[in-house]
Amino acid sequence: MLREEGFNAFVIVGGLAAWRKAGNPLEPVPRDDLVKLPTFS
Amino acid sequence: MQQLLSLIGHHGYILVFVIVLAEALGLPVPAAVALVAGGAAAASGVLSVYRILLLALLAMVIGDTLLFVAGRYMGWGLLGFLCKLSVNPETCILRSAESFYKRGKATLLFAKFIPGINTMAPPLAGSMKMPLDTFFRHDVVGATLYATVYIAVGFLFRDFLVSVMRGFQTAGRAVEAVTVFALIGYALYRVWLYRKHAVYRVVPRIQVEEVTRRLASEDKDKILLMDVRSHGYYDAEAARIKGSIRIEPNNLKDELKNIPKDKDIFVYCT
Repeated sequence: MLREEGFNAFVIVGGLAAWRKAGNPLEPVPRDDLVKLPTFS
Repeated sequence: MQQLLSLIGHHGYILVFVIVLAEALGLPVPAAVALVAGGAAAASGVLSVYRILLLALLAMVIGDTLLFVAGRYMGWGLLGFLCKLSVNPETCILRSAESFYKRGKATLLFAKFIPGINTMAPPLAGSMKMPLDTFFRHDVVGATLYATVYIAVGFLFRDFLVSVMRGFQTAGRAVEAVTVFALIGYALYRVWLYRKHAVYRVVPRIQVEEVTRRLASEDKDKILLMDVRSHGYYDAEAARIKGSIRIEPNNLKDELKNIPKDKDIFVYCT
């Protein structure tokens, strides 16, 4: 869909797991981006 | 069933325990049939009905507690994994979580009678951080109800077990037929989805090493890292690639309005 919309998009092979495995830097997901699901606690 | 009855006559308690534990852990074994057979054996005086009930309860509670703990440690990843099979994983996660939040305690009481739900309920309770004592109380009541019903059926209807056996065999054949048709239907649906989205196979791919090389070069300002995971954002400790932005995959059209077209976009998921 990105390509259809004219974006020059590429898929990172292995995704986040491969990125993490290669020891590349990560950051915590910002609080505002977290989807809150209900919990019993 | 006949073989199971004979086996239970010889190995009684341990067999009931193992079969019920296996089912509680999610394996496709007939715990209900084992309990009915155990009840019938108890009515014949071969086994003690109290011991059968106690062992069945112990097996279920052990199995359920292990799944509960697994759910607690795996967090939303477990639900995300199970929802991958659904048509819309994102909706599946949200609806399952909300539904279990509203009816979770009652679900635990009757989950054992519903194939699939019996395996899902304990880990879901763990994922949703249900207090252990609350889970334990409801699970024990649910397990007692389940074991009592099936043992009672075997105990009270021992003389009619032959017809019950025939019923099980007939039902078993019907379930087999329905399962086979459902699996074929699901396989055809996946093939249709695969063919429908065949265009996505031509989307260029890029290795992690190449991304890191480009990020370290002067090109870094021409790159946009895009996180399109649908279920990676439910755990508070969730991480993402440094510098990436979140795009909601189910709302892609609206989200793309704010994305510059002069950059190379590197998309990733889990």
